[in-house]
Amino acid sequence: MTRIAHWVVLALAVAVFLLPFAVLLRDGIGADWSTVADLFSDKELMFTRSLVNSTVVAVLQTAGQVVLCSLAGYGLARVRYRHAPVVLYAVMATLMVPTAVTFVPSFVVVSSLGWLSDFRGLVVPGLFSALNVFLFRQFFLDFPVALEEAGRLDGLSRWGVYWRVVVPNATGFVAAIAVIDFIGSWNQFLWPLLIAQDSDTWTIQVALSSLLTAQNPRVTLLFAAAAVSILPIVLVFAVAQRYLVRGVTETGLTGQ
Amino acid sequence: MRRGREALTFWLFVGPFAAGLLLFTYVPIGWSAYLSLFDAHNTVAPTEFVGFDNYVDVLTDRAFLDSLGTFTVFAAFIIPTTVVLSLGLALLVNRIPIAQVFFRSVFFLPFACSYVVAALIWKMSLFSGVDSGVANTVLGWFGVEPQAWVGTVDPPLYWVVLVTVRLWLQLGFYMILFIAALQRIPRHLYEAAWIDGASPGWQTFRYITLPGLRGALVAVLTLNLINAYQAFDEFYNVLGDSRGYAPFARPPLVYLYYNSLGSGGQDLGRGSAGALVLALVIALATLLSGKVSRRRR
Amino acid sequence: MGAEIGRRGFLVVAGLLGLSACGSDTGRGGSGDGTLRHWYHAYGEDGVQDAVRRYAAAYPGAKVEVQWNPGDYDSKVVTALQNSAVPDVFEAQVKVDWVRQKQVVPLDDLLGDTRDDFVRSLLDSQTVDGRLYGIPQAIDTQVLYYRPSLLSKAGVTPPRTVDELIDAAKRVNAGGVRGFFAGNDGGVNVLTAPLLWSAGLDFLSADGKAPGFDDPRAATVFGKLRELHQSGALLLGAPTDWSDPGAFVDGLTAMQWTGLWNLPKIRAAHGDDIGVLPFPRLDSRGAESVPVGAYSAMVNARSGNVDAAKAYVKWLWVEKTEYQTEFATAFGAHLPARRSLAAKTGDGPAKDVVGFVTEGGRIANPARWSSRANTALTDAVSRIAREGAEPTGELRAALQTARDEIARLDR
Repeated sequence: MTRIAHWVVLALAVAVFLLPFAVLLRDGIGADWSTVADLFSDKELMFTRSLVNSTVVAVLQTAGQVVLCSLAGYGLARVRYRHAPVVLYAVMATLMVPTAVTFVPSFVVVSSLGWLSDFRGLVVPGLFSALNVFLFRQFFLDFPVALEEAGRLDGLSRWGVYWRVVVPNATGFVAAIAVIDFIGSWNQFLWPLLIAQDSDTWTIQVALSSLLTAQNPRVTLLFAAAAVSILPIVLVFAVAQRYLVRGVTETGLTGQ
Repeated sequence: MRRGREALTFWLFVGPFAAGLLLFTYVPIGWSAYLSLFDAHNTVAPTEFVGFDNYVDVLTDRAFLDSLGTFTVFAAFIIPTTVVLSLGLALLVNRIPIAQVFFRSVFFLPFACSYVVAALIWKMSLFSGVDSGVANTVLGWFGVEPQAWVGTVDPPLYWVVLVTVRLWLQLGFYMILFIAALQRIPRHLYEAAWIDGASPGWQTFRYITLPGLRGALVAVLTLNLINAYQAFDEFYNVLGDSRGYAPFARPPLVYLYYNSLGSGGQDLGRGSAGALVLALVIALATLLSGKVSRRRR
Repeated sequence: MGAEIGRRGFLVVAGLLGLSACGSDTGRGGSGDGTLRHWYHAYGEDGVQDAVRRYAAAYPGAKVEVQWNPGDYDSKVVTALQNSAVPDVFEAQVKVDWVRQKQVVPLDDLLGDTRDDFVRSLLDSQTVDGRLYGIPQAIDTQVLYYRPSLLSKAGVTPPRTVDELIDAAKRVNAGGVRGFFAGNDGGVNVLTAPLLWSAGLDFLSADGKAPGFDDPRAATVFGKLRELHQSGALLLGAPTDWSDPGAFVDGLTAMQWTGLWNLPKIRAAHGDDIGVLPFPRLDSRGAESVPVGAYSAMVNARSGNVDAAKAYVKWLWVEKTEYQTEFATAFGAHLPARRSLAAKTGDGPAKDVVGFVTEGGRIANPARWSSRANTALTDAVSRIAREGAEPTGELRAALQTARDEIARLDR
């Protein structure tokens, strides 16, 4: 009896969670596949170009974040340096500051570097994620010290231990972080809207907004574009999702 | 000598990240703090020092205080709801013997959806005010009159729209955190409890599962708290319109955006002051919730 | 198309981008080679982008690159103006702050003897301290559309006073067709100005030195909006907002306040069964009105080629009248900004609107009316109309904010 109730509740929850996607597909593609073709042929929209741009940005940003943040996380977790705690606090404190606080000056910094309408401007400022560093540090704290010591005994340097021992044993966790970073990067909107002033550098979210902000929004096209824009994410997710729970389990984020 | 080598190693690992954080986070924060002490209309290089005037201005502004108040209430509602529902999902999924991956994926999928797209679906399809809107169709089955949803102030039905879209977007992520934590609880604890005669329902949940979830609870609470006060995207997209934003359900950031940062009047000094006040509120709330959850331990 | 009044920032998660201040001109395109960069916001009508690119390509005096900007265009302009040399030319509605910071250049000398041909109120709306900063491109206005067949079936005549509007909305409200639609916030944003005008008031006093709604009649007229909200005759929660003709076209409402620019779509849907009216007056002390707004062509003071930019603006928006006519009329209904051209265009409803603009056109976004003052006023109107707050007290708070803002502009 309780087992049946359990499945009924699950089934209901699944229906509720999938309903919005069904609605999106119905309104976007359901009526007419030619709408999707329109998306790719409409030159004002820059749809194809923006999909490519988003892919480039998301891939570069994800890779950069993973490398930079894992290095920093490892250093903070393992290297005994007397100022390390201060650095850690300085990293964590930035989590509480709303992005609104830093938006204007960040833009000024990027534009003084000459990075407007430039992939560097889209990618680089987003590489320094304090949350990622924190998660990597938690993960490395729990990493078996014995493995690392074995590496040291084999004559590896700290650096060698990191690349040859730690990283190969952290692929699951790295994959989990990478998926979350990729999603975040794909979905970000404000920053690209500001930086990508030339339509050549528009990301998909910016292209979507050009549909949304028209006075007379082309609703069908809008829904179709929205539906297409979440496809890559769904694909990435489908491939990588099995790493996620394992990765999160390993973070220690949820541990004691 | 050895100490010097460790310092060098440390900065080799942490240096590149720290340099970026300095340039793209600390420099901007410092700059904002500087701006907040000036009359900085339409400029980032202000000359007129005004001391704490911008702070006084923001803290005596009824609309800004209202929005802080509203979002304290919002946080007080959304956080427990999120915790209960995402933990519920985690327990549901974690207990089934088959197709776990499928269910996990379904519930996590919305996390991949952008706020823009979600707001679009909610506003224009699910909670559209026309009779054929999805929610109104469902109401129709039960013989209830169609509602205007986003347009209805009394009772404030717009909250239904805003809360459900946020829950849909974030529940899956927090569910994953809980599932991860559940899987870390050693099975032998449960087995030992059963041998001791504890019933597999409430008692094991109360004395084994919940304590095992403490870390996850703190993480979910903290992330949720920060997100609640920083709400912007879905509110802006659902309730904002071409000209402005209604005075209700207005997040602090939306208020600052429209009044100090947006197109009409860039009052960067006041905007920075408001944003820093908000950062302080978030920090205090986080510390407070940390204290409370530690005391419970 | 969409000038200021038609702009639709909604859904742009444009978040804090607005604040994006500036930076240096080391970004793209410091126009060392003499190329002019011309910015437009993303017009919703098909064909506008092609047309403006065609105009730019035809300019003999310099190479002009057109940049099409989706999203929160106004914020982007504010950002760029702070210290970027790009764009050289852009469309916008002048703000006092821009003039104070010397971010835009006066354009009075471009008009020559055509000055009298431009609709006076448009020039006024682009003028700060007696100098003109933008050349009007076209007139955007909003009107009250109604379906004569539905009104006569309900036995009401087209409303010429606010009370008649409320009465008509109530009486035609039946059978799934609502009486009146003025946006999903029930007209708070888009009707605030017309309501003030209907009572003979305004955002600002005639000299711009004081708020224009320090009068008990403001409470009366916003009370009327409350009455409309309580009547149950307003359409709320429509799939599209006031600036889109969707609700009216799909027959969800018998009357809608929306842009003139939607006329082609509305006519395609309802044929001759449409009428247009200005916003009605409260009583004999007020007047019928339509809001007039228009993006105007402006020149960035930091442009490397101010003179070349001015020459280009003069060529496009003063001399090339055939382009101006096409721009205003070929892609959705607008009116040319010049009376000689406006007189030649339009028939039926469009012709009526020319009359509304000439007789009752009011500036929708005065340069001295700041966004903060506007937020304070619309907050008050929202509380009065939607939540039933007591009008006098709400308006007193808005008046105070408006006074502070006016004082700041003159500091």
